[in-house]
Amino acid sequence: MKKLRIHAAACALALAFPACGTPPKSGNTAPAKPRVALVLKTLNSPFFIDMQKGAQAAADTLGIDLVVQAAEREVDVEKQMQIVENLIQTGIKALLITPSGSREIVAVLVKANAAGIPIVVVDTRLDPLAAKASAVKTASFVGSDNYEGGKVAGAVLVEASGGKARVALLEGIPGHETGDSRLKGFRDAIKDSPGIKVVASQTANWERDQGFTVFQNMLQAHPEIDSLFACNDMMALGAIEAIAAAGKKGRIRVIGFDAVDDAKKAMDEGTMIASVAQFPGEMGRLAVESAAKLIKGEAVPENQQVRIELVRKAVAAK
Amino acid sequence: MKVWAQHLLRNRRAGTLAGLFLLCALLSFLSPFFWTVSNLLNVMEQTAINAVVAVGMTFVILSGGIDLSVGSLVALSGVVMANRLMAGWPLALAVLFGLITGALAGLCSGLLITRGKLPPFIATLGMMSVARGAALLFTEGRPISGFSESLRSLSTGRVLGIPVPVLLTILLYTLAVVVLNRTRFGRYVYAIGGNEEATRLSGVAVGFHKTLVYVLSGGTAGLASVLLTARLNSAQPIAGMMYELDAIAAVVIGGTSLTGGAGTLGGTLIGALTMGVLRNGLNLLGISSFLQQIVIGMVIIIAVLVDSLVKSKRS
Repeated sequence: MKKLRIHAAACALALAFPACGTPPKSGNTAPAKPRVALVLKTLNSPFFIDMQKGAQAAADTLGIDLVVQAAEREVDVEKQMQIVENLIQTGIKALLITPSGSREIVAVLVKANAAGIPIVVVDTRLDPLAAKASAVKTASFVGSDNYEGGKVAGAVLVEASGGKARVALLEGIPGHETGDSRLKGFRDAIKDSPGIKVVASQTANWERDQGFTVFQNMLQAHPEIDSLFACNDMMALGAIEAIAAAGKKGRIRVIGFDAVDDAKKAMDEGTMIASVAQFPGEMGRLAVESAAKLIKGEAVPENQQVRIELVRKAVAAK
Repeated sequence: MKVWAQHLLRNRRAGTLAGLFLLCALLSFLSPFFWTVSNLLNVMEQTAINAVVAVGMTFVILSGGIDLSVGSLVALSGVVMANRLMAGWPLALAVLFGLITGALAGLCSGLLITRGKLPPFIATLGMMSVARGAALLFTEGRPISGFSESLRSLSTGRVLGIPVPVLLTILLYTLAVVVLNRTRFGRYVYAIGGNEEATRLSGVAVGFHKTLVYVLSGGTAGLASVLLTARLNSAQPIAGMMYELDAIAAVVIGGTSLTGGAGTLGGTLIGALTMGVLRNGLNLLGISSFLQQIVIGMVIIIAVLVDSLVKSKRS
């Protein structure tokens, strides 16, 4: 019991102290430059590293103190929320975020709203229903049109296959706007080609190693698969290894998304036919520029589209 | 001063508490944003989920076992509860259903361990995968969302300025401390962890009490899922990944012996807070996400290392 009492005293102490503590002094350690947070889904994917680089370069020119953070795992939206909550405490002047969960993250964006921090959503849109339900206010969205990108990928397949194909799809994490939109665009693009059939569709959670195992299993179940659309290049690259392991190298049309460097290499080697390029660096730059404007009280467009571009073998080889 | 230091060495929990205060003092010095009411409440709120999972984990580890399934159970209980909410069940009933789901999965692990004589590591490793798969299958991999405000209020609500998750955590710990220290079951948990054979020979129904420990762990995982679902406003089948490791870390930082028989719930709470404070502080300081993982790993190692050094010096 005595121990318990010591404990209670300690807790009381912890609760009492901050109350009598002085509020944080801003001039003390806070830099003169406005601090802006960029919270990414992950820092172990080339896509987000490019975004970070683009953002950092813009921040350096604009005199912004950019803090970049990401959760340990891309799927861990709860940790991403913690990061945002923690950064709100540090008096950031703007929040740039690529949501790890289009619905879930809304809860913490409300807190940023309450703290008067303008929000720029990058790459992955918020779920419109969830955003509406919590009345969250975002200043701008910076990103590519994923639906359009999916359609472009679908069109490539229609053209390359002559309208006859057995397709496998590797989905992103279910419930992520980016993957869902790409998939929808792709399916819409092949809708009018009755010769193209989707024989398998599963998630590989955006990851390269899962792309390998999931596609290996798909090939076991459906040896007739002759085409693959993966919602990002990492999964496509994993699948390409599985194709090689199955002795089918070059015999399956692989289309990816993002056109990362490894995907371009795969196109040179002839293991991939196309990938839809996004420009994450540009997203990062635009996001930081928007933040700079918002801090000055200037208006920014509600929707800032970043171009997409189809990268095919011939183009990549240049 | 010397007496105080000796006391620290003798009392493991006081040592952990001192470590936490030291960390807080350091962070207050390094960041002007740390030692504020809003940030400290923020930390406690963020710690709540891990702290709740760690209650069941403390019982399990005290009994000499381990439960690797809790992260998956958080996901499974969460989606089951969410499914019932969407079916129009009242909040309390749906929550109860989620808790029962977690407890039942815990019961399965417990029976596999006591009746099937499986090592806890294996039984709960299997359950970890089964429960994750079940959650994914049940939802077809998609998050469930669109709940009423009543669930949200479990996360956003405040009573006397204190966030509801923090209050629930305090309540749970108070209850669990009573169960652990004031009931026969609690004392048996220590006894089983200390010397299972001797406990059995003295006539205690070891199998029954050990099974109960895993039921409890499943139940607290279920409770954590309620907090998590309320916080995310969505139940995700991929939620709670690696929560088991965070919970185990909180328990061992709190000074509970991994071989069982010795440790306290107060220590676990301090352990969970230490991890929460650390993550928060590293975010506030804008330290690289990669470096954060190294620091957290090192703190776990140092905490247990200090413990084992002190122990070996004493004996």
